[in-house]
Amino acid sequence: MIDVVFLLLVYFMAATEFKLGEEIYRLDLPQRGQADPFDLPRDPLRIIVTSSGPDGYTLRLSGPAQLGPDADFGQLYELLRESRRSEAAAGGLLDADHPLIVEPGAGARWEHAMEAFNAAVRARYTNVTFAPPG
Amino acid sequence: MSRLLNRERAAIAANLTPMIDVTFLLIVFFVLVSQIVEVENVDLELPRPQEPASVLPGEAQRIVINVIPAPDGRAGAYRMGGRTFSADTEGLAALGASLAGRYRDNPALRVNLRADRATHYRWVEPVFRAVSAAARLSGRDDVEGRINLVVVKEP
Repeated sequence: MIDVVFLLLVYFMAATEFKLGEEIYRLDLPQRGQADPFDLPRDPLRIIVTSSGPDGYTLRLSGPAQLGPDADFGQLYELLRESRRSEAAAGGLLDADHPLIVEPGAGARWEHAMEAFNAAVRARYTNVTFAPPG
Repeated sequence: MSRLLNRERAAIAANLTPMIDVTFLLIVFFVLVSQIVEVENVDLELPRPQEPASVLPGEAQRIVINVIPAPDGRAGAYRMGGRTFSADTEGLAALGASLAGRYRDNPALRVNLRADRATHYRWVEPVFRAVSAAARLSGRDDVEGRINLVVVKEP
């Protein structure tokens, strides 16, 4: 009997597929409640992502700070980090809770949308959302 | 003295009972875990961001919505809790209604969204709207309406 039990154990250990390494980003969806009347509207910074070909992508920003034509997600992160106001970066213009909207284009791939979202979260912005598809 | 010499030697034997108990517990664990993985997680190529700022999922009760990929970056269907919903307006409405029922039972329920890296964003975003609609349909004010976007962190 112990042999059979061990065989079953080995079978289930081999057949079980663990999803190790999966992690999450928390995305707050728009709330139904009313907005705070004393909250001044702030022009959100838009990160426009378009995909081209199997792996190509382009990034643009809506604000005054601009990325180069061949900017990658690492450069996006650097620019966002430098733009955030903090004790370390006194020249930053944006608060950590400044609204950032990731705006993927019509054919943008999910991985590129998530890379842009990751760059914003990694730069420690706390109010990052997605726009409807362009 | 003679009594000491005549004593039988004590037999040395391993007690197998605790080992069998542990083995059975392990089997039960693997049976349960493998069923959960099969029902909830579809085999997808999840996004793998560079230097991810993602966090480990908490212990809160959650439900998984999978966006089933189709050719050309489209979504073939949406799957939640073993049920498959078509990737059109009716399917999304049914998904929202089903999720609203879950929210009524448990307003603290978390929604994990898993989508293939090659799927186009326009097929993923409708899930956001479906979850928002479900929070509204549930009729409860304590539903947070929050989505966990699932990625793979490279080891």
